[in-house]
Amino acid sequence: MYIYLPIAEQPIHSLAILGVGTFLGLIMGLVGVGGGFLLTPIMMFLGIPPPVAVASVANQLVAPSVSGVLSHWKRGNVDFKMGTVLLLGGVVGSSIGVVIFNFLGKIGQLDLVIKSSYVIFLTLIGSLMLSESLNLILRKRKGKVSRGKLHQHNWLHGLPFKTRFRKSKLYISILLPIFIGIIVGILAALMGIGGGFIIVPAMIYLLGMPTSLVVGTSLFQIIFVAANTTILQASQNQTVDIVLASILLLGSVVGVQVGSRFTNILKGEYLRLILSTLIILVSLKLLTDLITIPSDIFSVIINR
Amino acid sequence: MKFFTFLHILVLAFLISYEVKAKNQIVADLSQENVKITTDFLGAKILLFGAYDGKKGDDIIVVVTGPKGLVTVQKKEKVFGIWVNTKSVNYINTPKYLNISSNRDINKILNQKTQKISEIGLNNLKIRLQPGKKVQKENEWREALTRNMLKSKLWSLNENSISLNKNALFRSYLNLPSNVITGQFEVKILHYRNSKLISKELSTINVSKSGVSAEIYNIAQNYSTLYGIFAVILAVLVGWGTNLIFRKV
Repeated sequence: MYIYLPIAEQPIHSLAILGVGTFLGLIMGLVGVGGGFLLTPIMMFLGIPPPVAVASVANQLVAPSVSGVLSHWKRGNVDFKMGTVLLLGGVVGSSIGVVIFNFLGKIGQLDLVIKSSYVIFLTLIGSLMLSESLNLILRKRKGKVSRGKLHQHNWLHGLPFKTRFRKSKLYISILLPIFIGIIVGILAALMGIGGGFIIVPAMIYLLGMPTSLVVGTSLFQIIFVAANTTILQASQNQTVDIVLASILLLGSVVGVQVGSRFTNILKGEYLRLILSTLIILVSLKLLTDLITIPSDIFSVIINR
Repeated sequence: MKFFTFLHILVLAFLISYEVKAKNQIVADLSQENVKITTDFLGAKILLFGAYDGKKGDDIIVVVTGPKGLVTVQKKEKVFGIWVNTKSVNYINTPKYLNISSNRDINKILNQKTQKISEIGLNNLKIRLQPGKKVQKENEWREALTRNMLKSKLWSLNENSISLNKNALFRSYLNLPSNVITGQFEVKILHYRNSKLISKELSTINVSKSGVSAEIYNIAQNYSTLYGIFAVILAVLVGWGTNLIFRKV
């Protein structure tokens, strides 16, 4: 069943999009991350113009994040103070991101920047996840499971404007989470991601937050960053395709719920192994597109 | 249903053909003059049919031209191993849709000079570079424009696609691809005898967005901030809603 997308201005198979949304939702539910940074490249592979893919995925991300935060909140796994500080940075960052996005579109390099940032981040995150999950599998086979230090002190903790975050049991400079928020916000707006895969490690390793709070708190800030990106993309570039986003989010919210119910059945490290392989494959596909000789070195843009 | 319409058209065409014979003219009609891009739009196929006062050896050429405007051609070059758009050129007055069809090879109907003067043929369009801009090897860019427009199916050249019947009736199909641009499309039907234009008929096709798809597009363009806020609220509600539903399951 084909449906004509009003903003992307092309027909697309609605069941295929629904399927992709559900599949990505499942991954999100199972692993906790992986919504946007796989969804946007897949949309581009399906022929959605990158600007529309980025903006519509940002819109879509709001739904599973809201749904996720509500479940985490119920279990008391959200540090709202930390989340608010992060999201302040995130809103600033995503606003900067949309401005950069606009500028890149004007000089005709948007596709290149979106695709190459994906190659860089997907390769990085894919190989990190791959080695981590392989390590864990090997260690478990040997029967030793050691835990790393949860909280380390470094020079970052010496920055001024120290604030107490009771829930996270932290006393750190407020500049640090704001800075992290800004960086993630810029990337979120540019790449059509929530930024979970960057902010989660940053919260654990840079801020030293307890892991139990990390996913809920990051989802909390993602809602606002994704919402801000959506509104700015809509008002600045008119690239949010609400039909595309709606089909995707319907699939993903169901996928997330189903996925989160299976987290106890499937082993985390095997899941991460599969996911990281998937990520590396997507990144390789994007990389080959960038480095192989295009079938035509000329391309045409029809200005509407 | 389809058969009936075709029969209907045929009878109509025969009736018209008497009129045509008397006045030495060409008349034509389209199966669809208003193309609506709705949520189930997959492109459109329009039947163009009509009658002409013909003799053996007469020719018919149909030129359909969509809205004209700015089209950008970009060129990629390898920079540090990656293919990057490095140069771009703007063409003005470029038709964003073009369909040229004829009953036989256009070169057999008209000589090169006539083709050029009457702007028939993909290379005879009066397309210009944006004033004040110059590029080296302009023809390379111009060829790339034609090649890419043909690939996107927005331009097409269909020689031998018009079928003539008893030197009195003609019929042809126009394909509008799903990525077609909205606006007014000018249809020119030209009747040639021994390379001389003896009669012509003009018509128009209107392509517009319609229904929900049009509403969404208009809101996104005209009330863009509100549209963005609405998109967010919708996502929040769906996220919240699923949480409520699944909590009970």
